[in-house]
Amino acid sequence: MGEASKVSRYLYTVIVLFLIWLFLTASLDPQEMLVGLLLALIVGAFTYEIFTTNGLANLSPRRIVYAIAYVPYFLWAMIMANLDVAYRVLHPKRPINPGIVECRTVLKSDVGKLALANSITLTPGTITLDVDGDRYFIHWIDVKDASVEGASRNITAPFEKFLKVIFG
Amino acid sequence: MMKRLLAIGLILVIGYWLANGLAGVPFGEDRMLVGQYYLDNVKQQTGAINAVTAVVVNYRGFDTLGEVTVLFIASTGVGALLWRRKKERTAEVEGSVVLTTGTKLLVPFVILFGSYIFIHGHLTPGGGFPGGATIATAFLLLYMAFTAYEIPHKGFEKTEGVAGMSYVLVGLIGLAIGGYFLFDWIWQTWKIGTVGELLSGGFIPVIYMLIGIKVGTELSGIIDNMIKEGVSE
Repeated sequence: MGEASKVSRYLYTVIVLFLIWLFLTASLDPQEMLVGLLLALIVGAFTYEIFTTNGLANLSPRRIVYAIAYVPYFLWAMIMANLDVAYRVLHPKRPINPGIVECRTVLKSDVGKLALANSITLTPGTITLDVDGDRYFIHWIDVKDASVEGASRNITAPFEKFLKVIFG
Repeated sequence: MMKRLLAIGLILVIGYWLANGLAGVPFGEDRMLVGQYYLDNVKQQTGAINAVTAVVVNYRGFDTLGEVTVLFIASTGVGALLWRRKKERTAEVEGSVVLTTGTKLLVPFVILFGSYIFIHGHLTPGGGFPGGATIATAFLLLYMAFTAYEIPHKGFEKTEGVAGMSYVLVGLIGLAIGGYFLFDWIWQTWKIGTVGELLSGGFIPVIYMLIGIKVGTELSGIIDNMIKEGVSE
């Protein structure tokens, strides 16, 4: 995906910062809103160049819907993985089979790669050690399939179907 | 061995001496003399909810001016000690995509939150110094994640100076209007704002905004000075 225009990137940064401000102050007092808007405009002017490359394209309805749907999906994966690790810790024989596997990702954007790496790390049992281009090096507590394709199918693919739409 | 035993003995003696002195102060009892005056009058006299910032900026503004000066001297001192003709970042390992992208996403939020802290200094805990330190963290993040990052020096140093001068200027305006340095002319003379809203607190938010900007740029400058190494040509 190419770089969006400066105006679009700036506007996107301002919108995101203003939303954060609204959550932060949790008040609809006009004074707070005005100061928040001013601050979003100022901070946005200084930081939009590093904050975003896609600009307003990030706010397409399809992406937002997928992003909202991703939250419960990810939380569920996190709960299940936590229970799985708790089972391994409490089990008298400690059934672990650790190892480092390599995965491939289909994600192109850096933000998508960051989201995938964090999703993998936050679901216990798998930890992202390093990301290099489209290769992920992952420490897996229970290696079921050491091949690149097999590991990708098990670890990265479940998240990718969402993240591919959200971040590209 | 002898040295250590002597040191431990000395520390024990000092500790006992201090504990003995503090034992005379009853815990939890009302011993406030001037403190009660601050708590009773802070809203009406300064317009601020946060009594700490009201004391620090308003009742005892000279101390804060002194602290800002100390920080400025620290920054100048570091600059003077580490001064070399040619300085460069010598870091060689660029962070992974996780670190760099995460930093890019976080920096605007950190700066926004730092500004939130110093803008709400008269209402919530915090003020100019924590807010400024938070903003400096954003620049520290950039320094840590990118091997080639540099703060825009010219803009930063000028902003720092202008913010410091504006603080003194606000105090001097007070001198002209109210008769003494750091007189709160915005609250005492003009009565702007209602207590509890963002637009209140007299000159506390104004001064904290200036302090926040000053501290933020100053600490970033210190980071910049310390992270670079001199290179021989």
